[in-house]
Amino acid sequence: MFQSTGEIIDGVAKITLKGELDAAASGQFKDTIEKMAEQNPKKVVMFMEELDFMASSGLRVLIFAKQKMGAGVDIHLIGCQEPVLNSLEMSGFHHSVYLQETYSEV
Amino acid sequence: MEALQLPATLDALGPIRDYVSEASKKAGLERKAAYNLKLAIDEIATNVILHGYEEAGLSGEIKISFEMNDEKIVLVLEDRGKPYDSRRHEDPSEADLELPLEERAIGGLGIFLALKGVDGFDYQSENGNNRNVFSMNRPN
Repeated sequence: MFQSTGEIIDGVAKITLKGELDAAASGQFKDTIEKMAEQNPKKVVMFMEELDFMASSGLRVLIFAKQKMGAGVDIHLIGCQEPVLNSLEMSGFHHSVYLQETYSEV
Repeated sequence: MEALQLPATLDALGPIRDYVSEASKKAGLERKAAYNLKLAIDEIATNVILHGYEEAGLSGEIKISFEMNDEKIVLVLEDRGKPYDSRRHEDPSEADLELPLEERAIGGLGIFLALKGVDGFDYQSENGNNRNVFSMNRPN
């Protein structure tokens, strides 16, 4: 079961991902990104603490997010579980997104 | 544990992952090894469903079974779609993996992550039956 929800607060897209993000669920995640992108956020923050599994289809949506929002819009991934972090690092995503344990509004 | 056989659609992925988790538990795999095995099988099963069946205009079933001995656990994913040997897939290069996301090609990471995470992988295709075979060493 996967769930992605998003809202824009003060120009920041805040997206929460929960459950298992596989190829069956990646369309839902992509829809959330597209809805957020319509409002041209200046920054994207994704809360990942409750995301238990992420396949490469999830990585592809992150690539889509960066390409859709634009290179100038920073993406922050907050509280990734260790195996998810491992996939992100093996794929070299840590060069392009900010991986943080916790989020602070600054 | 009996083999699990399901129609080859994306709805099969969740039950396949649950099956792998259960098998990993029986084999006493550590958390990281269990996750890597689950990820590997999910990635290859996704390719079988999307490319082996749907893109090829075929429909059919996907089956997973497992066995283990003192040293290792072996899971076999079987299908009758279009054959594809993931070992022939070319890994992304170091330079590819350092590219910023805005310059990335979408795709190519699934098999890379899958095969990096398991201790053994083999593939056989015979008489229309394709077998992706994954193995993990059991902890001492």
